[in-house]
Amino acid sequence: MATRVETPALRPAAFGRVGNGVIAALGLLVLWGIAAWIYQLTQGLIATGMRDVVSWGLYIFSFAFFVGLSAGGLIMASAAEVFGVKSLRPLSRLGVLTAAACVLVAAMTIIPDLGNPQRVWELFRYPNWSSPLVWDILIIIVYFAFAVADLTIMSRRTMEPSKRAKVLRVMAYAGLPTAVLLHSITAWIFGLQISRPWWNTALMAPLFVTSAILSGTAVVALAALAAHRFDRIRLPQETWTALAGLMAVAIAVDLFLVASDYITILWGNVPRERAALDIILPGGSWQALFWLEWIVGGLVPFVLLVVPRLRRRLDLLALASVLVLVGVYAFRIELVVGGMLRPLLRLAPGNALGSYKLGQTVFQFDGVYHPTWVEYAIVTGLVAFLSLLILVGYRWLRPVERDESAA
Amino acid sequence: MAAETTKKWGMVIDQNRCIGCWTCAVGCKEINNEPLGFWWNRILTAAPGETTGESSEALANPASDNIDVPHGTFPDVEMAYMPVACQHCTDAPCVKVCPVGATFRRDDGTVLVDYERCIGCRYCMAACPYGIRVFNWGDAQQPVDFTVGYGKDYRTDGRLVFTPDRPRGVVEKCTLCVERIDVGEQPFCVEVCPVGARVFGDLNDTESEVAQLVDDGGATQLLPDLGTDPRIFYLPVDRERSV
Repeated sequence: MATRVETPALRPAAFGRVGNGVIAALGLLVLWGIAAWIYQLTQGLIATGMRDVVSWGLYIFSFAFFVGLSAGGLIMASAAEVFGVKSLRPLSRLGVLTAAACVLVAAMTIIPDLGNPQRVWELFRYPNWSSPLVWDILIIIVYFAFAVADLTIMSRRTMEPSKRAKVLRVMAYAGLPTAVLLHSITAWIFGLQISRPWWNTALMAPLFVTSAILSGTAVVALAALAAHRFDRIRLPQETWTALAGLMAVAIAVDLFLVASDYITILWGNVPRERAALDIILPGGSWQALFWLEWIVGGLVPFVLLVVPRLRRRLDLLALASVLVLVGVYAFRIELVVGGMLRPLLRLAPGNALGSYKLGQTVFQFDGVYHPTWVEYAIVTGLVAFLSLLILVGYRWLRPVERDESAA
Repeated sequence: MAAETTKKWGMVIDQNRCIGCWTCAVGCKEINNEPLGFWWNRILTAAPGETTGESSEALANPASDNIDVPHGTFPDVEMAYMPVACQHCTDAPCVKVCPVGATFRRDDGTVLVDYERCIGCRYCMAACPYGIRVFNWGDAQQPVDFTVGYGKDYRTDGRLVFTPDRPRGVVEKCTLCVERIDVGEQPFCVEVCPVGARVFGDLNDTESEVAQLVDDGGATQLLPDLGTDPRIFYLPVDRERSV
């Protein structure tokens, strides 16, 4: 076993007071999110910043983001088995734990986005099989069930080790295509739409898979780093190096795919395709997304992860992981909002907004989107809930393998 | 009634006749009791043939962001009006994406929304190339405290496709005045148009005016390259006139 555990304590004190404080704070944020959702239920979605032109917002791009985060787990666990990347093996249980938590929270994120959440059962009663949303719900359920089953088997101490290893190996082979399918289908929710030239590219599924591997690995890295810091888990250096390497490759592939998309649009110069890209490129009204994606969440973490002297430092690995998450989140915003800001028919007087406020125009050319406190509160609550799930799951399952005989 | 020969409802809008008066849009709001801010039907100011012909480009920027302003640079200016409501596509993206089948297409081609089924996910709004769907974000606001227009619920095959009092959190759009066409009347926009720019009828009936206009009037569809095959046709201003 490559794992070395230097601390003999099974339940270190660091998890006591600090841990309880963190859990209490997260619990408060979750309650705040629930309160905001109840407020939204009383008002309707008018409480959000979404309107008819930009009719999807923070909820949907957070949904896509959470789905992406869930990748790390199964892919990492599978990579250890399928591709024989042994250095990642100590993290497979932690990975599957984050996968299960992230995909659960992703599914929950759809609920506040619905105008009639009480009708959500209709998805199962009257599914329309041509809708990518129905495929996505199906694969989310399969993926969640798979991750939970995987985690259960991994945590079973009673199971005979050789038998367990065999079952886990089979599950690793099944897990990889399941994960790829989850991200591809989520991509197709957007990528199949002919009404949004910005979304309608065959690159969407590869982009989602890549950015999912990227952000999913970052989440596992952050969880492992937190465990390292507060639970005094000792992972071998090659595990950290493997995490850094995986993220660096994923950043490169991700930006390569995005660049291919940009080049195709720029060279082709078809106005309806340029419309969205021009908003995001430097000089556009949402250019912050470009810098966040390419520099803050792209070049900077890439350098941190690639330069040998830098990547050995765990604090910089943590920084790189956070930046990577920022970059991937920027990509999600860019996708959803960029796709909706400029509708195909941009002739005067514009599109109806669907809401009426004195002094406000009824029609809009370019979409405008400013999330409200309700949306921020609900998404913050969801992030807090996700952290709680991972934290409690960690405490309960102790997912990072320990060599207890060494104690 | 449904057992008879299937109707194939269609509409032709003659841009040569349209004067951009918004009567169809206001009539639509009235008959359907549309809340404040809701427009199922709006009149765009286009260049002739814009968004319809092959050489056109949907995103060609208007000369101005205002309605009733010509396109182009003086002296080469042109202007046409293009009323846009639901195009009742034969291959409707909204019908394909609706996860619960709340948006559906009847055999006669009318695309409708079931107010009792819609979960409010707004995927149809993302999928519609024409941006014609409006969502009930909050409680409907009305300019008057009584119901105007048709005024009662209408169901087809038991599904609630029109109600004057909008439930919160559902999507709505042009119904082709389903409650009127089912009893042999014309959609209200067709009836109120003061210049006869709209012709409605059965495309399966080769004798009908609408079928003949589609066949020999150089009729075009909106964003035809997307292949949605709308049942609403436009007769562009600069078409070759065969009549």
